[in-house]
Amino acid sequence: MLSIRNLAKTYAGGVRALRGVSLDIPPGMFGLIGPNGAGKSTLMKILATLLDPDTGTATLDGLDLIANKDATRRLLGYLPQEFGVYPKMSAVDMLNHLAVMKGITKGGERKEVVEGLLQQTNLWDVRKKALGGYSGGMKQRFGIAQALLANPKLIIVDEPTAGLDPAERNRFLNLLSSIGRNVVVILSTHIVADVRELCSRMAIISSGELILEGVPAQAIEAVKGRVWSKVVPTDSEREEIEKALPMISMHRVGGLNEVRVYSETSLGEGFLPVEADLEDVYFRQLSQHRPN
Amino acid sequence: MFKDFFLFELKLRFKSVSTYIFFLLAALIPFFSIAARDFGPIGSGKVFLNSPFAVLLITTQVVAFGSILIAAIFGPAILRDFHGDTYQLIFTKPISKFGYLVGRWAGSMVTAIFVFSGIVFGIALGTLMPWADKLRIAPNDFGMYLRIYASIGIVQIFFLGSLFFCVAALTRNIVVVYLQGVALFAFYLIELVVVVVSNKLERAWASIIDPFGLIMVQSLTRYWTVVERNVVVPHWTGVFLYNRLVWLAAGALALLAAYALFPMSAEVLGSRRSTKKAEEAKADKDSVEHEPRRVRANLPQVAQIFGGATTWKQLLSMTRMRFFNIVREIPFWAITLIMLVFVLISGHFAGNNNGVEVWPVTFLMVSVVSGQSGLFLYIIGVLYAGEVIWRERDVRFEQIHDSLPLPDWTDFVSKFLALAMVETVLASVVLVCGVLSQAISGFFRFEMGHYAKEIYLVYLPQLLMVILLALFLQTVLGNKFLAHALVVGFFISIPTLYAWGIENRLYLYGEITPYTYSDMNGYGHFVKALFWVTAYWICVGGLLGVLAIAFARRGTEQSFGARWKQAGPRMRRLIAAAAAFLLLAGTCGAVFFYNTHVANQFRTAQQNRHRTADYEKLYKKYERLPQPKVTDVDVAVDIFPERRSFAGTGHYMLVNHTDKPINEVHITDSREAVQEVKFNRESKQTLADKDHFYSIYKLDKPLEPNETMKMDFRVGYASRGFKDGNERAEFAYNGTFFDRDYFPTIGYSQNVEIDDPVRRREEQLPPLEEMAPPGDPYYSNINLFTTDSEWVTFHAVVSTSPDQIAIAPGYLKREWTENGRRYFDYSMGDTRINDFFSFLSGRFSVKTDQWKNVKLEIYYQPGHEFNLDKMMDASKTGLDYYEKNFSKYQFDQFRVLEFPRYRQFAQSFPNTVPYSEDIGFIERMKKPDDIDLLYFVTAHELAHQWWGHQLIGSQTQGSNMMSESLAEYSALTVMSKKYGEDMLRKDLRYELDRYLRGRAGETRHEPPLVLVQREPYVWYQKGALVMFALADYIGEDKVNLALRKFLEKNRYATGPFPDTRGFVAALRAETPLELQYVITDMFESIVLYENRAVSATYVETPDKKYKVTLNASSQKKKSDGSGNETPMTIHDLIDVGVFSGTKEHLKRLNLHKEWITQETGTFEFVVDEKPTFAGIDPYNKLIDRDPADNLIEVEKP
Ligand SMILES: Nc1ncnc2c1ncn2[C@@H]1O[C@H](COP(=O)(O)OP(=O)(O)OP(=O)(O)O)[C@@H](O)[C@H]1O
Ligand SMILES: [Mg+2]
Repeated sequence: MLSIRNLAKTYAGGVRALRGVSLDIPPGMFGLIGPNGAGKSTLMKILATLLDPDTGTATLDGLDLIANKDATRRLLGYLPQEFGVYPKMSAVDMLNHLAVMKGITKGGERKEVVEGLLQQTNLWDVRKKALGGYSGGMKQRFGIAQALLANPKLIIVDEPTAGLDPAERNRFLNLLSSIGRNVVVILSTHIVADVRELCSRMAIISSGELILEGVPAQAIEAVKGRVWSKVVPTDSEREEIEKALPMISMHRVGGLNEVRVYSETSLGEGFLPVEADLEDVYFRQLSQHRPN
Repeated sequence: MFKDFFLFELKLRFKSVSTYIFFLLAALIPFFSIAARDFGPIGSGKVFLNSPFAVLLITTQVVAFGSILIAAIFGPAILRDFHGDTYQLIFTKPISKFGYLVGRWAGSMVTAIFVFSGIVFGIALGTLMPWADKLRIAPNDFGMYLRIYASIGIVQIFFLGSLFFCVAALTRNIVVVYLQGVALFAFYLIELVVVVVSNKLERAWASIIDPFGLIMVQSLTRYWTVVERNVVVPHWTGVFLYNRLVWLAAGALALLAAYALFPMSAEVLGSRRSTKKAEEAKADKDSVEHEPRRVRANLPQVAQIFGGATTWKQLLSMTRMRFFNIVREIPFWAITLIMLVFVLISGHFAGNNNGVEVWPVTFLMVSVVSGQSGLFLYIIGVLYAGEVIWRERDVRFEQIHDSLPLPDWTDFVSKFLALAMVETVLASVVLVCGVLSQAISGFFRFEMGHYAKEIYLVYLPQLLMVILLALFLQTVLGNKFLAHALVVGFFISIPTLYAWGIENRLYLYGEITPYTYSDMNGYGHFVKALFWVTAYWICVGGLLGVLAIAFARRGTEQSFGARWKQAGPRMRRLIAAAAAFLLLAGTCGAVFFYNTHVANQFRTAQQNRHRTADYEKLYKKYERLPQPKVTDVDVAVDIFPERRSFAGTGHYMLVNHTDKPINEVHITDSREAVQEVKFNRESKQTLADKDHFYSIYKLDKPLEPNETMKMDFRVGYASRGFKDGNERAEFAYNGTFFDRDYFPTIGYSQNVEIDDPVRRREEQLPPLEEMAPPGDPYYSNINLFTTDSEWVTFHAVVSTSPDQIAIAPGYLKREWTENGRRYFDYSMGDTRINDFFSFLSGRFSVKTDQWKNVKLEIYYQPGHEFNLDKMMDASKTGLDYYEKNFSKYQFDQFRVLEFPRYRQFAQSFPNTVPYSEDIGFIERMKKPDDIDLLYFVTAHELAHQWWGHQLIGSQTQGSNMMSESLAEYSALTVMSKKYGEDMLRKDLRYELDRYLRGRAGETRHEPPLVLVQREPYVWYQKGALVMFALADYIGEDKVNLALRKFLEKNRYATGPFPDTRGFVAALRAETPLELQYVITDMFESIVLYENRAVSATYVETPDKKYKVTLNASSQKKKSDGSGNETPMTIHDLIDVGVFSGTKEHLKRLNLHKEWITQETGTFEFVVDEKPTFAGIDPYNKLIDRDPADNLIEVEKP
């Protein structure tokens, strides 16, 4: 169990990236969503020992992650949102090197784990190529491979599926959920569907604050039957609805606007009830917390 | 379109701070060259610090070493667009190629011209500084500054800038641009080694193809006298013109190439850059093409093991990765390759010492290869220190890297180790280059131990110290380029600090004490100092490393404040390492301090100058005080080589040869060796000024005229520990050699005085006193060499360690062992000698031979057998010739003794010649016409047994030539007997070169030969030239006759001593009337010829002969001491001649003298063979400012 208490961080420029976040994260996949600049990466960097919070604590099964950086790093698997590679090293050499760094000093084990990871991430055939020649997706897969080295107890992956093609994305998510049953996996993403499919728990943060924490299915349950949709042809009509009703989201469908609104009661006037999904929860939460 | 690009470029440049920083950088060195003493390239003397010569030198150097700025200005002009993907935006628009390229180029050109105008600004500002040496600053002449800036600076900017621009445009890779700069620089260095270091006289081609103009300027100005240096601005003529034209053309070509070859389409420009993209695509395809493998459901469980063993493995793995990251880079290989070429070429010339070939023994080779590779290894170390510190951040791997479970120190240590490995490998390659170069030059005595010591224990640690500093700065400063700039600043600051008198190596980071390896003495007494100072700085470097670990970035936060906060807790963990380094540095520093400041007194060069200056100020008043003279010397000297010490007792017999009673005896003790002085009558010491080498004894009963008295003394010198440089060269474990300076000198001694005019001014001393003119009533009675003595009897008992031989002048009377020491008793018997003696001790091998009844001996270092036979031959031939032509040799023995190369000379003591290890023992004649320096020096020192030990002049102007010029003449004559006229001529051409350069560097004023005072280039080089010219006119036999008569009349003079008036008279007596002018011109004046062959043609005559017509011009000028010339009318007998063969090996077809009475003349010859060359004074027998144009190829009309 990872418990986060009151984490706050203000960057040198004065940006308050986290404003006292508390979370309890049990083993299993934990999804973190939130708009750009919400503070997801900041939170993850703190957990990954790269950043010191101004206040707050984070403990994993009694281990203080912030005070015991060395111990934390030993059980950590971390994939940053953005990273580069040493252009002239090959994937296999680099993974081998990183495996040594993670304390896998037995040669046989190391070989096995490195080869296993190369296969799992489908990099086996290019394992001897220089990383500098990798495409964005391949590089991302390499990042995933290194994060999974040495059976980490705490896996932090920051937008891991960005840049992956659908097949690779599936493969990765499968891999992650197979690993993620007994360890804490924190995954940030902008694809709400990923969270729905994979995560046993989730949190939404915005502007450095936690605005929802819970089980995805329960969150959906809470808005079930309260989401209404209407297709309107013009922008002016859309704006009218926006003014009058708590709008959740708006999609363009074949040149028309589909508007979703939240309402506890039926709205009539062409509004049809729709099946709520996690995205509705997400947008509803955000719009409620929009500062005005 | 052009205007838009041009103005845009200018706006961009002039808005950027870097432009102004570059400007200040360009101004910096000129500013200090003028404003700060000892900083600039001009040196001391009477040349103005802002003279045209100085401005020329400064401008050339600043622009040459500022090439990197030129690259930094012109490179980005194009590369800017390719950094991101801007090029796609630009080149898809309809823009004109001319506008784009030329606009960018012109903008950069204007920027660069502005940047380097900082030179003029710096010079002008320097002249205004209140502390500048006003006496050496001429009024600012901006016209001159700008003319020089235009012809050197702007031309260089045009050429280099266009070249960089072209390379940038065509490769679009900044690394290639810098590499090209490095390659040009290497080309220059190679030229420098091949031409300047090996002292080639022929410089025209090297000057023309010199891309930076440095060699060109050096060759152009090398004979310029003070006056010329102060007024002449080089014109666009001759070599200067050609050089400028060649490089202007090269610049123009580069521009044309850039214009012609630069593709103006985004597609083509993109395609080259997209090789990387193609690779990615291919890799992508590879991974898609293969069916995904069966994936194992679960990853294997592995054991994570942490602890000491793992930390070690992590360190190794990290170091290995960093090492390969460096050696896989192209710039690394480029620099290494250039270094290899450079080192091998330099290695090839390791055996060439100023035009003299010697065996490339290991100490020469290792100093050449390590010295020449140093620059490159420092560049690699500093450059990659920046790369390695910033690597993770540059490739954006830092977030993964920083969250790895590594101890804080592992990362930094792996960076250091990787660099250390790279440098170790490179240093080993350098070592191999040295061995290889030795093998290539046919020398197979490889001393691997010596190589290893020098490379791994001396050279490598110095590199590591600088690397630690660079790593520290990179870590703490947080900006790669700022840190690089500071490291460069550090490199500049060290020599500057030395120049400003900060010489304490406890404060100069990474500086080690100076040392010299000697075959005789190994690293000898330098080892201790080297060990402690190296250990000290390595530990200080280690401390910097620990600090760097505490401040290293780890994690996302980069601000210094955040790092300062994290440094505290980290430091607590590092405290043991920090304490260890601190303790070790403290200990080493303390040992060093104790030795250099407590056991020995620490004095800077400046403090030493103060002392000598004070000596002069305080005691010069006693210079003419009547003092007794030494007539007998009897000493007992115990040498303790292993302690680098000696102790001696002995006595002088003193006589009063003045006509007044003497009440006081004054003693100068310039080596601080005299411990006690006693007279055989009551006396009292009334002054004991140890700080200024002076003491005075008052005699109770004065020494009456012609009365004698005995003076007993105790002397000694004891080395204690080691010093911060300035170790006395006289004392060595093997190869002790000290002389009379370690014994009391009676009275004030002029030899102690400072002679550098600038130093004298600094010390507020008046200009050095001129020597008295010949015939001066006071100085005519003082002999040139030892003011305080007459001809003396000499007896010495010397002892040394049992494995060494000790030598003093005199015949060995007895040798015995006593108390485990070896004793030698030397005596000159009744033969009186010049009061000039030396003591030597070493583990010598001895070679003996005999000439008539004279015993010949060479005491040499085993292993230096190369030239002993030649040395013997020179001694015998010399004895033969000198006895035949001058007079009888006055001794029964002649000995040559090798001493360590801490000093480089040979010196003639009575029948005893100490001879430096460096100047002949390892000589190697490669080609039959190489000059045999060893033969020459041996014959020269032998000749001093006549000219110096039989004939001694008075202490007046000109007397020095009667020893040095005559020894030079005698030795060259002997050498030409063995090697023939050709070698003589070749040697004299070098003498001419050295004479002309010598007078160019004159800091006071040049005297005519017979009034020479302290000017070696006059008494050696001009003396030799003039004596041979005279011999050529009147014949060797006539010259020798004059010398013999003069010697007979004056030898063993006891005062008044002879001077050059008598010498000139002796020469004139043997010279026919019409040639008397030769003596007036050459001996008594400074006369320069400008002989020139204008054209030469030949026609074949019907009888198969060749008729040659030579047009030549001749001018003659008289110069004053500063180099002001006035024309003279010519009425001179000069050689004209026709030759076949090559320039290096001329074969005389017709050579004769003609009276030249007009400035131009036509000469006709008929010769039997087909001629190749013709000329006037073709052998440069006369002193000619441009000796190369005397000879011209003969052509068919
Ligand atoms: N090093 C930094 N210095 C200053 N401000 C920062 C820094 N890193 C992030 N920020 C700011 O902190 C806030 C939170 O950033 P963070 O990267 O945590 O957001 P995020 O939720 O990961 O966003 P995204 O979805 O775009 O990745 C943003 O406003 C960002 O501008
Ligand atoms: Mg983020």
